[in-house]
Amino acid sequence: MHRVVVTGMGAVSACGLGADALWRAARDGVSGRKPVHYPEIDTQRVGHAAALAAPDLAQVIDAAGSRMRDPVAAYALVAAREAVAQAKLGPDDFGDACGVSIGSGFGGAQTLNTNYLKFAAEGSMRLDPMSVPKIMNNAAASWVSIEFGATGPAYCMATACSSASQSIGLAVQMLRAGAAQRMLAGGSEACLESGVFRVWELLRVMTADLNRPFSRDRNGMMLGEGAGVLVLETLEAAQARGAEIICEIKGYGTNSDAGDLLRPDPERAAACMGLALHDAGLSPADIAHVNAHGTGTVANDLTEAEALRRCFGDAPPPFTSTKPVHGHALGAAGALELIVSIGALRGRMAPPTLNYTEDDPKVHLVPVHGQAQPIGAGAVMSNSLAFGGINASLIVADV
Amino acid sequence: MSETREQLTRELMKLVAKEGMVEAGTISPEARLEDLSIQSADFIMILMAIEEKYGAYISVDNDLTETETVQDLLDLAIAKIEEQRAA
Repeated sequence: MHRVVVTGMGAVSACGLGADALWRAARDGVSGRKPVHYPEIDTQRVGHAAALAAPDLAQVIDAAGSRMRDPVAAYALVAAREAVAQAKLGPDDFGDACGVSIGSGFGGAQTLNTNYLKFAAEGSMRLDPMSVPKIMNNAAASWVSIEFGATGPAYCMATACSSASQSIGLAVQMLRAGAAQRMLAGGSEACLESGVFRVWELLRVMTADLNRPFSRDRNGMMLGEGAGVLVLETLEAAQARGAEIICEIKGYGTNSDAGDLLRPDPERAAACMGLALHDAGLSPADIAHVNAHGTGTVANDLTEAEALRRCFGDAPPPFTSTKPVHGHALGAAGALELIVSIGALRGRMAPPTLNYTEDDPKVHLVPVHGQAQPIGAGAVMSNSLAFGGINASLIVADV
Repeated sequence: MSETREQLTRELMKLVAKEGMVEAGTISPEARLEDLSIQSADFIMILMAIEEKYGAYISVDNDLTETETVQDLLDLAIAKIEEQRAA
């Protein structure tokens, strides 16, 4: 089995362009929350999301947009370019030796939404003729493989909020097994469109106020968007080309609740964390910090806190939800949060959970809040707990 | 004011019964939602109807997890509706 390392990272998010901008925002507790307004929604109840800043969006579309691409592909391309540049990959490093594993929850949401509005509201038959290739969920993965000539295996996990974590986990498993030497892995989501926003409103899991994970006065999540892509390589491949190694992906665990579609299961979430620890060959005491799924919904927070207790005991390592910073970016969430987790690992610093006000007696655990907290040497875990009951945990460590 | 509140309560009872797919005759303020088999998917429908009719947004969160009886749900809905009307 090959060891798997990270040699490059790229991010597009409400916190700005670049993995570093994302990490700094998380560490310093600067939220990318912005007002969002959709004229098509009669009476919009929720008025904020972690949307890309207008100049950043313009820059991304200018750099990677085209008539053939929904923004979801442009986000992924910009993140992948950054990751590839950081890894200093050259033309000879792609080909069949390099695969792609980039997930998405919604795929080309803007194209779909625009078409629905034209078709249903306006009765127009003149829809975007490129709709099919723009909407399909794997478009982002395919564009990334085309851009770099990565002709190895290309995958697109569409497992809601676990899409990116599972995409990265799958890439890790493939590299370990020798199916490729390197993989561009992560997730992309460009879901802040009127139709998508409205159906999230209807599910009533979004807060009309501030996103406050693990806090007693929480009342829902904040949607986000963006993309995170990492260059993953076998340790041998990275060493052979003299690459600068950022960290190791030490463990991956994933399982299914096989229970309720929407309500998470603490036992299964704890089992998932346990799988990742076992895979990494680590014990709970080796984990210095957990980046929690921490959506700020009562269903998640109570479940995840219970799962943390089951996995780590009554005094789990310092844990944080950084979703108030970058929002819940659904299919990109796991990649953005892994990038933040790697920032925490390298900086030995757990970022704060923004907007936290008071201990919830039902949670019984207090996340890192107020300001970033120094953490000891050790590995860092990142959790994703998705609708559909799909759990995924990744563990990163120094090489 | 109290008359409006009584009327609102009656309207909401009907709404909860309809959206929760419960016989109107079996619903009472003291009835436990669990005993009426009103589950999370029914809650979403009830809350959507409240939003449509009264313009009040109630997220499926803390407040709602503490509702055990029909009266608890009515109290929550009335508080949110009054909040909305005052805004």
